Amino acid sequence: MKQLLSIVVLACIMVLPSLGHSQEWSPKGSITLQIGFGAGGSTDIMGRLVAAKIEENTGWNVVVENKPGGGGIAMFSSLMREKADGQTLGLGVSMPIFLNLASRGDKIPFNIDTFDYLATIMRGEIGMVAKADAPYNTLEELIAYGKKQKGGIAVAFDAKPQQLVLEPVAKNAGVKFKFVKHKSGAEQVQSLLGGHVDIACTAGEHVKYIESGDLKMIASMSKDRQACSPDSKTLIENGFELYLEPYFYIAAPKGLPENVKATLAKAFDEAINSETVKNSLLNSMQANAYNLGPEGTYTMMSQGAVDIKALVKAAKTQ
Amino acid sequence: MIDTHTILTGFADALTLHNLFFVWFGIIVGQLVGAIPGIGPVMAMAIAIPFTFTLNPLPAIGFLMGVSKGGLVGGAIPAILMNTPGTPDAAATTLDGYPMTKKGKPEKATKIALYSSVTGDAFSDIILITVAPFIAVVALKMGPIEIFALMVFAFSIIAGLVGDSMAKGIVSAGLGLLCATVGLDPENSTPRFIFGYFELYDGIPLVSMALGMLAVAEILRRMARIRGTIKSAIVIPKAQKKADRGVSFVEFWACKYTILRGSVIGTILGAIPGLDSSAASFLSYATAKQASADPKSFGKGNIHGVAATESANSAVAGANLIPLLTLGIPGNLAAALIISALMIHGIQPGPLLFQEQGQLIYGLFGTLLMANVLNLVSGLLGLRLWARVIQAPESIIFPAALLLCMTGVYLATGGLFGVAVMFVFALLGYLMSSFGYSVIVFVIAFFLGERFELSLSQSLNIIDGDLTILLSHPVALLLFILAIVSAIWFGLKSKGKPE
Repeated sequence: MKQLLSIVVLACIMVLPSLGHSQEWSPKGSITLQIGFGAGGSTDIMGRLVAAKIEENTGWNVVVENKPGGGGIAMFSSLMREKADGQTLGLGVSMPIFLNLASRGDKIPFNIDTFDYLATIMRGEIGMVAKADAPYNTLEELIAYGKKQKGGIAVAFDAKPQQLVLEPVAKNAGVKFKFVKHKSGAEQVQSLLGGHVDIACTAGEHVKYIESGDLKMIASMSKDRQACSPDSKTLIENGFELYLEPYFYIAAPKGLPENVKATLAKAFDEAINSETVKNSLLNSMQANAYNLGPEGTYTMMSQGAVDIKALVKAAKTQ
Repeated sequence: MIDTHTILTGFADALTLHNLFFVWFGIIVGQLVGAIPGIGPVMAMAIAIPFTFTLNPLPAIGFLMGVSKGGLVGGAIPAILMNTPGTPDAAATTLDGYPMTKKGKPEKATKIALYSSVTGDAFSDIILITVAPFIAVVALKMGPIEIFALMVFAFSIIAGLVGDSMAKGIVSAGLGLLCATVGLDPENSTPRFIFGYFELYDGIPLVSMALGMLAVAEILRRMARIRGTIKSAIVIPKAQKKADRGVSFVEFWACKYTILRGSVIGTILGAIPGLDSSAASFLSYATAKQASADPKSFGKGNIHGVAATESANSAVAGANLIPLLTLGIPGNLAAALIISALMIHGIQPGPLLFQEQGQLIYGLFGTLLMANVLNLVSGLLGLRLWARVIQAPESIIFPAALLLCMTGVYLATGGLFGVAVMFVFALLGYLMSSFGYSVIVFVIAFFLGERFELSLSQSLNIIDGDLTILLSHPVALLLFILAIVSAIWFGLKSKGKPE
């Protein structure tokens, strides 16, 4: 399968440049890829990987710039004012953007339609995990166990949407979740392994610990089951119509000319689906490269914003 | 467990010319970026990671470790020479390092910093190599409640730094904590004190605050004093005795307890993920001051002050690898970058690492030891250069330093906003020190504030109103009691002193 895919990709790379050569656009000077997070984070490394691959494939000069602040809000607030010429692009993560738009949209200068979308790099897979020796293996068992604990279940999380998804679960099931905020997935794993919390919500950090047998998955919080623990049901299979799928995506100021958009989208697609990037993502984030393309990204962004808005509204009316 | 053959082949892998070249290159890069305010080793490592793909894992990680270790040495240099911490870790080093420079002993100060740094680093590396798995298991038991108790304990010790007026000290600490609350609150992500600036969502940028308060405020003060004649920024007396230029073995040996204490504090805090090296250096400094026979001389150029902070912040670097290599949990940003680099090479840090990659790990250990030696050698060569640089006229040095601070902050924070914040804090720092409020207490409170608040919120959620839960956290209880005891003890000690 993988081989077939790489042959197809190779074929595309070889054939495509010869097609539609007349309308080919190439950047004047260098392209700036702004990253909404600080240097050294997973988003930053991902951006630098893809940028390096694009440089290698196309010969363009791609400069990576970090613009941290507010989970990408600071970067997108300035990106919207850049010229829509394809020379300035932004890499962000969907969840914090959705959450901010849903909870304080009136204070944020942009919305989903302020940007053109070029690609997604990957989709995070969030799992509800517990220590391997915990006295429960599934969500059902966890709920049954939780009902007997009068102190409640301590749940680690590192992003508000995780809490928004698990609150209705606890409410419907009649158990008490004590939500304990952490700064990162790695810190959640630390608290979990040390026995300071009962459950954690991690985006990929759990995979290696499930493989080593230190952790187990109670439920998948994605739409689908996860490869690292194919027997663990999703929240949806457990009867809760809830899921979370954070995407890492590339956006540009609205109004890119069609040929610019097409050229950039193609360059990103080739880089994202290259063996180097795919392997690095798999190794470093335990996730598959996953490009929805320009239209798919726009649909995902619009739908995701609506879904999270509903969650925030539900949490407020409780 | 691991047989000697794996260990020896691992060490043999480390001792190749190829590896040595990359480690040394990393250290030189690290010392250079460390010495430039704002641009730290973390940024250099992040930029370098994509380029390390083409290397084998060992030289790649060796290079990155070199940058990280070199940065620790480099960061102290401008902290001592110009009151400008090159990296936030070195903020505490300004406390006694810069006064030593003002006394005309910059070479002595930078040398003791280098020696303590390398000693602390070597100490924690040896702990890492010998007892890492054991320490990692113990460190895991430090949960949110224990970390909160540790922060309370740290505050009780650091209270000893407050100075003459308790009221002014409390005002400084309160201001620092207040500034640390800017940004999204840790529990519900509600923005606080951001006044419409999205850039403040993640809090006041650390580099802007540290460079503004410590460096820019001092540069402005010095520039304001320039009158007519142009002097050297630092005057080293021509007739200075050789003893004042270097550090003799006797002097180094006299600091042995300070350095050992700093190394132990750094190693312990480094092994606990989430506490950064500035906490370790402040704590080490405060305990060195308390343990000293002459605490009044601290802050006025006491060689022990420099030894304490530099040994502690460097010891954190080695100890950070303990949770990283044994559990796959990064202790700080630099460690997180090493993890990414390992993973990109297809190596999974975590419980199985020692079994699966024994040879590589021992190669890495060998590389760490080699890096320590190289750090010392390049540090000594580099110091000669720096000592010449700061003897340039102050009309050149200070504007150049200001420009460096501005570009560094611009790069680190991604725009001019961070530079503006730096100047706001420069003004605050200038006013605070003019009116006798301790800038350093403010900085410490700010550094520790974020983790303090997060661990408080975590603990409150875990305890959930049921105080009996505390009984199952003996370590936390012990730390709380120690905090009360030390507060009372230091209180009495300072009362007993003649005015």
